[in-house]
Amino acid sequence: MSIMELNGGSVIAMVGKDCVAIASDLRLGNQALGISSSFQRIFPVTDRVYVGLPGLATDVTTLRERFRYRVNMYTIKEEREIEPETFAHLVSSTLYEHRFGPYFIEPVMAGLSKTPSGGYKPFIAATDLIGCLNFAKDFVVAGTASAKLFGVAEGLWEPDLEAEDLFETISQTLLNAVDRDAYSGWGAIVHVITKDKIITRTLKARMD
Amino acid sequence: MPDMTSLAHPQQRAFNPYTENGGTILAIAGADFSVIAGDTRQSEGYSIQTRYAPKVFRLTDRAVLAVNGFAADGNMFVKKVKQRLEWYRHAHAKDMPLRAIARLIQTMLYARRFFPYYVYNILGGIEEDGTGAVYSFDPVGSYEREACRAAGAAQSLVQPFLDNQIYFKNQVPAPGTSHPAHLPLPTVLSIVIDSFTSATERHIEVGDGLEIYIVLAKGRTLHGTESIGGMQELTTTDDGERVFVVRRDLKKD
Repeated sequence: MSIMELNGGSVIAMVGKDCVAIASDLRLGNQALGISSSFQRIFPVTDRVYVGLPGLATDVTTLRERFRYRVNMYTIKEEREIEPETFAHLVSSTLYEHRFGPYFIEPVMAGLSKTPSGGYKPFIAATDLIGCLNFAKDFVVAGTASAKLFGVAEGLWEPDLEAEDLFETISQTLLNAVDRDAYSGWGAIVHVITKDKIITRTLKARMD
Repeated sequence: MPDMTSLAHPQQRAFNPYTENGGTILAIAGADFSVIAGDTRQSEGYSIQTRYAPKVFRLTDRAVLAVNGFAADGNMFVKKVKQRLEWYRHAHAKDMPLRAIARLIQTMLYARRFFPYYVYNILGGIEEDGTGAVYSFDPVGSYEREACRAAGAAQSLVQPFLDNQIYFKNQVPAPGTSHPAHLPLPTVLSIVIDSFTSATERHIEVGDGLEIYIVLAKGRTLHGTESIGGMQELTTTDDGERVFVVRRDLKKD
């Protein structure tokens, strides 16, 4: 019995043209038994940064609160919102503090970071359960369906997708990957972050 | 005099007759053709034994077999299937039909139920009614006819991609239209090549080379696909089904 696969669930993030997307399934299970089909594991950090926390469900709740606390402390001290790169390092160091008794979560982050010229640059990152950062230029995946997500994403993703095309690409990737994973599925949610709005949609998915 | 200390403690020895040799195979059926493909890397653990070990074999002019798993078992199994097909030819003066080869493979695999060939088989070709067909097997002979199937090290990467691109899973057709039951040959070939380049990118046991076998029904031409580089015809007769092979490079890292 693997702790990483106890509750199931998967998250993926993708880069588009001046936008990013992050998506997840909604299943919470106890091994093969389905418990909930409305388990949120993607959370907003700021207006422009989202984090997905696939892994052990109890640690999803704990880490979400820990990140909320640390981001609030950062905002108060710095008197500004946290940038996605900074948040990624916050996540990394929080996880590495527990190097020899880790949280069983592999976080995925997506956001838009401010450029010196006043524009926004897409940013995605993921870490393993002890906080080793992976800054990918295309897409990052995590969770029980990660192998399937890698396969489909590698086939469907292309550079410079517009927001609506990115939504379709990440949705198709997630849906088709989780349909081949017994521990993921039972509904899905997608967030597309653009410079002036965030599009959140719950998808009609297979419920078996 | 025997060593008394070693006799005092029971010793255990083990021999594992199986190895996993990596690689991936894949087959897709069209309306009047079938495509069967496999990469050519053979590995054991993190070592590459060879960059060219074929996993896809022409059995007859209308049947191609792809084998994946334990390479030694795979090669032996193909050898025995070919032998049975030759005996059939001598007895009946014709090639065995595809559905009969599928049933033969089942009985040959199940005959070894308690010491199995550690191999996943995918059989592709043309049925007697001229339709393209794919049969997939588990190591002990359970089998099914399908429109497409991936097996091997990167099955988990490729199969959901095929669900999406071949079966149009999670895609809704425009109002008043429907998804095609079978795709044209050029589309199928692009999907096969994309599947293997993707699997090569993300899986260490996949790469080096790609062999794509194409089986065409009687009277069907390659129209539009002749331009593909390095295509070679393997057909032995000139009035029946035709078999072609395309060899391509995959990344070697």
